[in-house]
Amino acid sequence: MNYARGETIEMLAAEYVVGTLRGPARRRFERLCAVSAAAAAARGRWEDRLAALALQLNPVEPRDQVWRNIRAALAADTRASAPARPRRMTRWLPLAVAAALLGIAVWLGPRLLTRPEPTVAVTVLGADPAHAQWRVERSADAHRLRVVTIAALAANPDKTYELWALPRDGQPPVSLGLLPRQGEIARGLTERQTAALLAAGKLAVSIEPQGGSPTGAPTGPVVMVGVI
Amino acid sequence: MRNPEFDNNELEQLLIRCADKDPAALETLYQRVSGQLLAVVLHILRRRDLAEDTLQEVFIRIWQQAGQYDQLRGRPLAWMISIARYRAIDLLRGQRRTVSLVEDDLPEEFVASEDPSESIEESSRTQRALKDCLRILTVPQQRSLALAYQAGLSHEAVAASMQQPLGTVKSWIRRGLQSLRRCLES
Repeated sequence: MNYARGETIEMLAAEYVVGTLRGPARRRFERLCAVSAAAAAARGRWEDRLAALALQLNPVEPRDQVWRNIRAALAADTRASAPARPRRMTRWLPLAVAAALLGIAVWLGPRLLTRPEPTVAVTVLGADPAHAQWRVERSADAHRLRVVTIAALAANPDKTYELWALPRDGQPPVSLGLLPRQGEIARGLTERQTAALLAAGKLAVSIEPQGGSPTGAPTGPVVMVGVI
Repeated sequence: MRNPEFDNNELEQLLIRCADKDPAALETLYQRVSGQLLAVVLHILRRRDLAEDTLQEVFIRIWQQAGQYDQLRGRPLAWMISIARYRAIDLLRGQRRTVSLVEDDLPEEFVASEDPSESIEESSRTQRALKDCLRILTVPQQRSLALAYQAGLSHEAVAASMQQPLGTVKSWIRRGLQSLRRCLES
């Protein structure tokens, strides 16, 4: 990317975050961020820089009703995504249930995307199979990633482990985020991460400073590699 | 209400738990940040009922999108503030302000606000760095930027409330942002 274009994106991102980029230009910039990592990163930098302005406003306590409404919406969400109970069958019931479930699935589709989904094993990361550290899985469409810690890590507060997709064609690694020290995490992936994961031949783990690589590329030693 | 201190590590852990659909995590998150987020949307929307409806929507979005929070960025509060601000700004689109902007109705200027409480947190460090850098801006640059960011005003509305030509205001904001960036990156 040439310098002038970089500068244009930087200022568009700034005006987007400030809020003065409006109308179709605002929507255009959003679409650009969806496909351009550079634009999304510029927007992220300005969000971080200017958030301090929002923190200079004195907090205003919401009325209790607000939380009650959120809790109710959450409960509805959870109920909707609970597994269907077995039902007594009659001749017509299975068809009706199937039709109803189809309707619910179509209606709830976007909400259900936020649930952890059936996953596809990607790889196991570890020095050797006997010392496996993490199991990496993805959703069928590769838009979500799930990482399960097999062996908990000794806490070293200064370091974090970061997961990378290594493209087969020798392109630079793409970060898939930080790895948990214990338990498991599931997270959504950006379009770029999804594409990188699907195109990757291997996943790698590097040791990075707290908060992850400051540069967007691995900066610390690569300690594990898993073949997909 | 005073500004609370935000622990970004804690907020990040809460977001990770939200991504795993733990409602208790959202409740704690709400206790930590709802006051600040309401202030943000209220300054833009200017109507308590509308602002609280928006806050509600913002927390549902945080719940649904927590899995997309990028831990690499490491600034969970900035992420949530952005969700709140963009939603409020989108609500303003196409609708004219019904509230007239009289001088004492404007949000306090950030240069005049109190010192943020001392904290070791990243957010406060960034806040102090930003505050230092704001000092190098001219007063009109500071004021136009505050009106745009904190009150969500368009270029035209900033120009009207400062009684200045549109082009002048646009260039104040643009140059202010450029100076800020140079200062924060140095």
